[in-house]
Amino acid sequence: MTDQPAEPHERRILGTELLWAFGVGVLIAAILGMIVFTALTRSINPPSNVEHIDPKRLHLSGEFAEQNLGTTVGADGSVTVRAIATQFMFVPRCIAVPRGRPVTLRFATPDVIHGLLITGTNVNTMVVPGFVAQVYTTFTSSGDLLMPCHEYCGFGHSEMWASVQVVPDNEFKPDREGRVSCAQR
Amino acid sequence: MISANEPSATDVSSEGADQVDEAALAQAMRVVPLGAAVLAGAAVALLVIGYLAIYLLVFLPRGAVG
Repeated sequence: MTDQPAEPHERRILGTELLWAFGVGVLIAAILGMIVFTALTRSINPPSNVEHIDPKRLHLSGEFAEQNLGTTVGADGSVTVRAIATQFMFVPRCIAVPRGRPVTLRFATPDVIHGLLITGTNVNTMVVPGFVAQVYTTFTSSGDLLMPCHEYCGFGHSEMWASVQVVPDNEFKPDREGRVSCAQR
Repeated sequence: MISANEPSATDVSSEGADQVDEAALAQAMRVVPLGAAVLAGAAVALLVIGYLAIYLLVFLPRGAVG
């Protein structure tokens, strides 16, 4: 059978399949190229920080001790947010960030796996015991954004959420210790 | 009595049917690949348009992340 010359319709089918495979290959290459292009030019990448922390002791000392939680502006002007995700709340419950400036968000948990996203942004990560979840982003519009836990963490999961208060840069004023809290509205 | 060497009525009709099927197959094979390509192409095009719409109009405007 294979020694016989292919029928015309068989050759046409083969040609159609090869054309289809070529078209799909071009589509896949275009989509992958677009993802790489935006990753390189617009800094859009999946969060990939790997950093260990002892979940049993993170509240006792170090950057996730209670007095260090919240928004901090460093001497170089960098903005870092530290928060703890725990059953069933985020600490602090409200996070103040500036609009139009790069922000580093760092999260840790002492108990179970949590997750979070910030509405209207691409911030979306899991918070796993033993690791620090770190996400860089720049908030582009002012307003109050919702930050719910999106990984089922127990009976109170649906009540676990926080607010992200994005304020214009001229209203984002750190105190003498470089800390910024949410404005009471 | 029908001889074993003579074709039966069933054989004749199936042979005739085969001839018709071959002709119909050749005719169908001239248009079926085009139809399949149009159908599959339309489905993939809709999928890609949906992907691009979400990627360009929702994902990218949400800004940098990493």
